[in-house]
Order: sequence, then structure tokens, then C-alpha cells
Amino acid sequence: MKDPINQPREYRNDARRKMFSSSFSVICLLVSSLAIVVLATLLLSIFSTGGGWLNFEMLTASHRENNPEESGIGQAIIGSLVICSICGLAALPIGVGTAIFLEEFKPKNRLLRMFHGLVQLNINNLAGVPSIVYGILGLTAFVYMFGSFSPIRVNDQPDYEIGATYFYQTKTLGGKYVRFPATAEIQPVFEIDQKRIVRTATGERFALNVVPATTDESKYEDKKDETVILGTKAKLTNHQGVQSYETKTLGGTPVFFTAEPKYSQFAKILEPIMVTGPEGDAFELNVLSKSDAIPTDPDVQSRSVFADSPDPNKRSSASIFRENSFFHMHLPFSKSVLSAGLTLALVILPIIIIASQEAIRGVPQTLREAAFGMGATRWQVVRGAVLPSAIPGIMTGAILAMSRAVGEAAPLLAVMGGVLGTTNHLSSLMDKTPVLPVTIFKWAGDENEGFEHLAAAAIIVLLAFLLLMNSVAIFIRYRYEKKLA
Amino acid sequence: MSNPPVGQGELLTTPISPRGELRPRSSKSSKRWQAVVVTGLVFCALVSVFTTIGIIVMLVVESWGFFADDQIEIWKFLTGTKWTVGQTQGELSYGIWPLLSGTLRITGIAMMIALPMGLVSAIYLSEYASKRIRSLLKPTLEILAGIPTVVLGFFAVKFITPYMLEPIGDFKTFNATSAGIAVGILCIPLVTSLAEDALQAVPNRLREGGYGLGATRLEVTLKVVVPAALSGIISAFLLALARAIGETMVVALAAGSTPTLTLDPRMPSQTMTGFIVETFKSESVVPGTLSYFSIYAVAAVLFLITFGITLIGQIIRMKYREVYD
Amino acid sequence: MPNLATPSAMNQSRSISQNTKPQSSTATLEPPLENATTAIDISEFNAFYGNFQALHNLNLKIPTQQVTAFIGPSGCGKSTLLKWCNRMNDIVPIARATGSLKVGDRNILARNTDVVDLRRQVGMVFQKANPFPKSIFDNVAYGARLHYKISRSELFELVEWSLKKAALWDEVKDRLKSSALGLSGGQQQRLCIARAIATGPEILLMDEPCSALDPASTARIEDLIFELRKQFTIVIVTHNMQQAARCSDRTAFFFEGKIIEEGATEDVFTRPQKQQTEDYVTGKFG
Repeated sequence: MKDPINQPREYRNDARRKMFSSSFSVICLLVSSLAIVVLATLLLSIFSTGGGWLNFEMLTASHRENNPEESGIGQAIIGSLVICSICGLAALPIGVGTAIFLEEFKPKNRLLRMFHGLVQLNINNLAGVPSIVYGILGLTAFVYMFGSFSPIRVNDQPDYEIGATYFYQTKTLGGKYVRFPATAEIQPVFEIDQKRIVRTATGERFALNVVPATTDESKYEDKKDETVILGTKAKLTNHQGVQSYETKTLGGTPVFFTAEPKYSQFAKILEPIMVTGPEGDAFELNVLSKSDAIPTDPDVQSRSVFADSPDPNKRSSASIFRENSFFHMHLPFSKSVLSAGLTLALVILPIIIIASQEAIRGVPQTLREAAFGMGATRWQVVRGAVLPSAIPGIMTGAILAMSRAVGEAAPLLAVMGGVLGTTNHLSSLMDKTPVLPVTIFKWAGDENEGFEHLAAAAIIVLLAFLLLMNSVAIFIRYRYEKKLA
Repeated sequence: MSNPPVGQGELLTTPISPRGELRPRSSKSSKRWQAVVVTGLVFCALVSVFTTIGIIVMLVVESWGFFADDQIEIWKFLTGTKWTVGQTQGELSYGIWPLLSGTLRITGIAMMIALPMGLVSAIYLSEYASKRIRSLLKPTLEILAGIPTVVLGFFAVKFITPYMLEPIGDFKTFNATSAGIAVGILCIPLVTSLAEDALQAVPNRLREGGYGLGATRLEVTLKVVVPAALSGIISAFLLALARAIGETMVVALAAGSTPTLTLDPRMPSQTMTGFIVETFKSESVVPGTLSYFSIYAVAAVLFLITFGITLIGQIIRMKYREVYD
Repeated sequence: MPNLATPSAMNQSRSISQNTKPQSSTATLEPPLENATTAIDISEFNAFYGNFQALHNLNLKIPTQQVTAFIGPSGCGKSTLLKWCNRMNDIVPIARATGSLKVGDRNILARNTDVVDLRRQVGMVFQKANPFPKSIFDNVAYGARLHYKISRSELFELVEWSLKKAALWDEVKDRLKSSALGLSGGQQQRLCIARAIATGPEILLMDEPCSALDPASTARIEDLIFELRKQFTIVIVTHNMQQAARCSDRTAFFFEGKIIEEGATEDVFTRPQKQQTEDYVTGKFG
């Protein structure tokens, strides 16, 4: 009996196997080069659409509705820069700190090890969460702050505020804009706009149900005693010693809720008051009654208003304005640059953590051993030996994370809305501002064809900026690698 | 020379410093400082934990607001086939399936593009490519990975649809195919880099073993290296899948805002993410209304799916990873 | 084992001298010949890694059905020569060689050498056991599946035979489907040997097969090598002089890329002709 390896056998054709191998190599090359083709097509198409529209005016102007020729991305660029700075300042320390914790301070205790593993698993999962979910989280946590300051409000004044001045502004007969300070007062009438907590005469508390006027009656039939129509007016009254508003539910039950001071939209000027002019000059406003004639002296005109008059041209009422100082801050944050920056920080946090971990892992163990051998505590080892070597990797990772942040539109859409342009430029952290990616998004969806070209031009700017950031990252990596080598 | 008191930290009885006695820095203060630092680091780590908790709590609580509303029944949500939330006229239908189908359609097309192309590119880069080709291909993929999603969405709606798709068939202005292609392009670099890492992690001596037995390069690649790297490759696929499902801006621009329940890839198809973005864009989000809560309900479904896929990918990678020492 | 050099054997056997394979050829083997003839003929052989010359003008004849050992201190080029015998150095881009390296009577350094078929006939066992992450059965069957059209029952027979030859059958016969990575280091190396011989080579190259193993496994593999030489020509590179003394019939002593001395093992170890050889085998250096 012959050994099995000496049995006569048929060959599998060598030549064919080799042909498969070399043709596979060609197929691979074709498929891979498809990626290059796709990238080239993308860049070419964008440049051809937007290239002609890229000029200096476009870079500095703001958005003009329905007017692509005069619109620009000036505000958007500043907005992107500000928001990304906030994002970086928030995410970097926390991200690097977490990475250090995960890599250098591994606990021996079994329970803590489980915590450790959980945090690591959690971060890897967070990296896969869609950015829009982060946007919703930012909306809930930063903009509305889980409703912890008050029932979620819209367009209402915030609970805690500093750095903002409210004033009323009106135009005198001479065309001069004057202003005087506004005070929040308890208004005599309050229009109910949303759910709030109310109490009955007997002291029972519940959430008042607010429905639009057009709602079908049957929908709230059984809850008549707890429902009012949107827009119902509540009157100011004194209920059990507390200034409250009172209204009746659809079922006829009277309910009360505490009255809070608020700025009213308008203020009537009935008597002379001290006002400040545009140059800061303070003077007493001359108030004319309806029977008076219009003064002829222009100087007097610029200091006068009519108190009350059926003639709409002569009626005076001042509207409320708010001016923010740079440190303007309120709680809850509501839709602001601060909320946007913090939300974006959450988005890139997992990226920074993972990149920093890799950088820290890359530090050779011998370095740590040397430091320990000299009697350093763990933190001293990290600060003195590990971190300095890991810094280039961390910085590269941080810059790459930032370049991801610059291009993110979804979370910012959620947190700030589709802001295209603001009348005032960015003056404090509480303002809203347009950003590049959201602007591109809105312009791309605009019907006006000119905006399509503008969007392409904005994309070019965005890509140029990303190129710059990545080049900086590569440069840093190169410089530091040379240093360490 | 008397011995120093116990606990002072001096090992030698004779001072060796020319200045006289050495005074070591108290190790206690260094240790105390370290405790402070470690506490700070733990807080940093807790941020990420709280983020996840925050997401889950928020989604659960606010979805509760959706389902607690008398108009909404959870059964109809999970099985219904029409979605009209956010539309002012008409009857309110809130079946999730049109949105889900939009997501699935676009993800399907994207995966059909990204998985094969990504894997082939990874194999090429890892097993075949020369240094020159590598230096051309890798940066290209990195650039492709860094392109913001709005740009790809723009490319999809302004170029893929009019110049590539409309000439060849009855494609609507907003359709699932162009969005699917763009999302696929987006995911190729992800698949390639993760799969390449998995392939590179296979130690060379396995390849040598294959060559030593007389295998061709293709045979070594397909029969030795790829099977050895399989868990990493599958994990890469799953991560790309999760990414595609969660993709927002591309579908918002290219897939349209009409939820449809069909297999036809030429129709507009709003996805779950597209619906959320559309609602935000219209700025009609008033807290407390049904529209507002519906965002959370849809986001909850989205989060469950992506989180689940990512988790499975992690588990596969950890459990089935071959450890080569 | 066919006589690799005689013309008559060439036409009938699946010898390496044929450079074109017919579409499907059926090969038979002739019973092994008693006379020692040359399996590998190395003449005027130089090997380079880039600009570094690793081997200088080697001349060596490796006889069939005997165990030849390459000994010498580390870095002297013995592994390099071994790897050239089945063109494994093709994986290293900067490796090149000049001269003549004949396996059978074909110079395998020629451009049109069928490397794939060469490696079928010249098998290799590596320093660190490298079983594929597949089952034990699939590992052993891998080579045969690559090169032959073989039925399932024949394959099973082949696997059993190979594992028996490699002295591993008794330990794994109940778990052929389990993963090869679950075996111990010594078992894995024997598996690699089984895998190599299942492909049906005529020559087995072994690159320090026991260096990563404990003494007990080493002893088993040395016994194995002794057994296998009845059927295969074996070339073994080893650091361990005692191993060379125990296992091999002929020994070649390498130093700094040159062969200092070669001959029957007994002669090289007990009556070395060069001073350097004597110094090395008595342990003065290396």
C-alpha cells in the first residue's frame, strides 16, 4: 500500500491559480482608483459651480434674503470660529483627562476595574452615536436645561440673567432715537401661552392643559376642568396674599398661578421722563398732548413726542430692546453660541478621548519604568514622562477632531436653528450666529439658483479651512517626530 | 552621629550632600496632590458616562411625553405605515415604517457600495500595494473621510441626481439612490481603514506559512489572511452600518422630505434622521407639542438601532479576536 | 523517492526538472533509491539584502534522504540560505542572489521558475509554529487542497497519515475539528510539520524548529526528524549543536556568510579540520 502522499494525483492547474492572483491585483487597483476618481469628480464639480462666485465681498458680507449677489458668509465664518473655539476649550481638557484616567490609572480593585471597563466600552459606543442625537441632547440639556429652571419656555425671559440691559426706545419728532431704562413689572393681564403649574382655590396643584382654539372639543371633554384655550387672558389679583393671575378653565373652575415681573413689549409715554439720546446726552423728553401743534423748531422737534393721539403718526409708544454686554449670561442657556459650543464638544469628545488614548499608548513602557524607578508617584510619571511624549499625538488628534467639528451641521441645526443671519453681530456668548455648514445646508435647499453657486463657494472656503487645519496637524506631527527621533 | 528618627525617610545616617543634610520632599504632599488630580480625572471620565445617561434618560422621558398623549398608541407607532406628523393638514398618522423604510433603503444602497469597495481597497492596501500606490491611495481616503457631510449632500443633490441618475431613468429630484450613493462614498474610508487595521494585525508568520506551502498571493489573502481577520472585518462592517443609519445631512439634502414606504429607489424617501432635521429646520418646534415629542420618539428608535449595532460590533471584536502573541 | 538527477526518472516522475506542467498530469513516484544523490546543488552562490552581502560564494551539495544541519552563530547566514532553497526570500523586496541553486537539476534562481510548484515540492517548517486559525484538520489539509484535486475520503486518509507521521495523531484524533490554536507549543509545531508533509514534498526545510519549545517537545521533534528522513530529504538550521549532533547525518558550519567546513556530522564534531570549527563546536564562541 503506497503512502497517501505517493498516490497518483491530479493537479489543480498552477497557471490558472496564478492568473487569478494577478488579475485580482488588477481588479483591486481599479476599484481602489475609483475612490480617487470619485474624489476628483467631487472637487471638480464643486469648484466649477462655486469658483466664479468666490470673492472678497462674499467673504465678509452677511446673508441677504433672496439676494444671492449680495449675500456672504462673513458672519458665518466668525460664528464657526467662535463656536469651534468654545468647543475645543471644553472638549480638550475633559477628553485628555479621561484618556489619562483610562490609560494610566488602571485600578486593581475588581469593582473599579469594572467601572473602568464600562467607561471604555461606553466611549467606544458614544463614537457611533449619530450627531443629530447629540444635537437633541444639547437642546434638552443646554438650551432648555431639562426644564429645571422653569417649565420649558419659549420666547420668554430667562430666569437668571446678568449683563443685559433692557430699555425702551422710541423716535422723537425730529427723528432722533432716544431710550430710557425699562423695569420688569407685574403686568395686569397675562396671556396664557403654554402649560404651567396652577392651583385651585382649595390649594390643589396640577398642570394646566393648554389647547389651540381649533381643537375638537371631544378631545378634552373629560378634562374640561383642567384645560384652557391658548391665548386666554388671566387677570392680576391678590390670592391668599400673593400676587397671582387668575383665570377660569373651560369647566368653569377658577385657577391661580404666581405672577412674576416681566418686561412688557411696549410702554406708553404720558409724562416727561429722562431719556438718553444716541450720543449719550441725557435730557428730559418733551411730551405734547394731542391738542398741541407740531413744533416748528427742529431743535424742539428732536426733543419731543406726542403722548397720545388718534393720528398714528403722532402716537408715541416705545418698544422694548435689550442690549447685551460681552459677559451677558443667562440660565437656561437657550439657543446660543454657548449651547452650540458645548453640544459640539460632546460630539467630538469620544474622538479626542480615543485619539489621546492611542497617543498615550504609543509612549514606550521603558519611559514609565525609568520614572517609577526614580521614585515618582503615578501622577508625576504621567506629567513628567508620559504626557510630554504623547503631546504631539494628542495635538494631532485634537486638530483632527476640530476639523470634524467645523463641518458638523446637524447638532447646530438642532441647538440654534437654521440661523442664516443676525441683525446684530455677535456680542456675547448668549447670541445666536450663523455657521458655515448650516449656511451651506440652507443655501443648498434654497429655490433661488444663485444660492446654489454661493453654497458651492462657501464649500470651497470650508474645504480650504479644513485643508489648513489638517496641514497644521501633519506639520506638527512631522516636527515632533523629528524632535523625538 | 546619631541615627535620624524613624520615619524621616533617611536611609543613610551620614549626609552625602556637600551642603549638609538632605531634606527630601515629603512624599505625603505629593500623594495628596495626586489624590486631587485623580479625583479630577475621574470627574472627566464621568462626563462621558453622564452623556450616555443623559441621552437615555432624555429619550425615555420625552418619548413618554409622546406616547402618553391620548392621541398616540404605541402599537400604531410601531406598525403603522403612514407618517404625517408635522403636516398641518390632514389626518395624523404616526406609523414609523415609512421613515424606517427610508433609512433602510438608503443604508442598503450605501452598504452595497461601501462594503465591497472598502474591503477590496483594504485588501489591496494591506496585501498588494506598492509603496508608491499606498502613498497615493491612503491620503485620498483620508481626504475623503474628512469631507463634511453637507458637502457630500450638496454633491448628491446637485450632481449625482441631475447628471448621473436622471439621464438613465425616471428618477425624482429627491430620491433614495443619490443619497445612498453619497452615504456609501462617505462610509468607504471608514470600512477601508478599519478593515486594513484588522488585516495588518494578522501576523506575518501566518502569511509565510501559506506561501511556504505553495499558495499564490490571492490564495494566501483569501484563505489565510481574511479568515484570520474576520472578526475585525465584520466589526468594521457593523460600524459603517451604524454610521450610515445615523447619517443626517446627506439625506436631508438629497433624499427629500416625503416619507414613503416603497422599494423603489427613485422615489423621495425621508429617513428618521431626515425627519428630525426637517422639523428643526422649519423652526416650528414648540416644546410641549406633539411635533416636539415626536422628535424624541423617532430619535429613540434611531438611537436604539445604532447603539445596538455598535454594541454588537464591539462584542464581536472583543470576543472573537484571535490573540497572537 | 525518485532519483532527481537521472534522465529516465525525469519523464515519469513529478520531478522538479519539468518546467511546464501539463493541464492535468498524473504522476507516480518511484520507490526510493538507496544511493545518496544530490537533492540541492549550490554553487558559486551569493546572496544580498540590498547592498549588504549575506552569503559569499557558497558551494555545497545536499544529499537526498539524509538530514543536513546548518550550524553557526547568529547572523551568519544559515537561515538566509535555507530560505533561498524554496524562494521564500521573494517576500523580501531587497533580497537578491547570484550563482546557481539547483533543486533536482533545475536552477531555481531562474526568472521563469514556477515558484508555487517549487514550494509544493520543497516544504518549510518555521521557527515559531504558525498554524492557521482554522481547525486541525483544515490546517493539515490546506496544502493538499491547494495543489491537488483530491476527494474527501482521500483527504481524510492523507490527514491521518500525516498526523501519524508527525507523531500527533493520538493526541488529536478526537478533536480534528477543534481550533489548532488550542494546542500547546510543541503540538502546534508538530502540526506544522504534519501540514508541511501532507503537501507531499520531497525536501523539508526546517528553520530552528525547536528553538521556541521546551526540552520535552524538542526531544519528540528530534525523534520525528530522525524518522522522517527515511522518506524526505531534510535540511535543518539549528543553534543547538547538540541537536545537530544528535539528528543530522551531515553538517555544514557557517560563519559570517561563508561555509567554513562541511562533512559527515561525526567528522565535523569530533575531527574538525579548521580551527574555527573546533572553537565553535567546543563552545569557545557563539
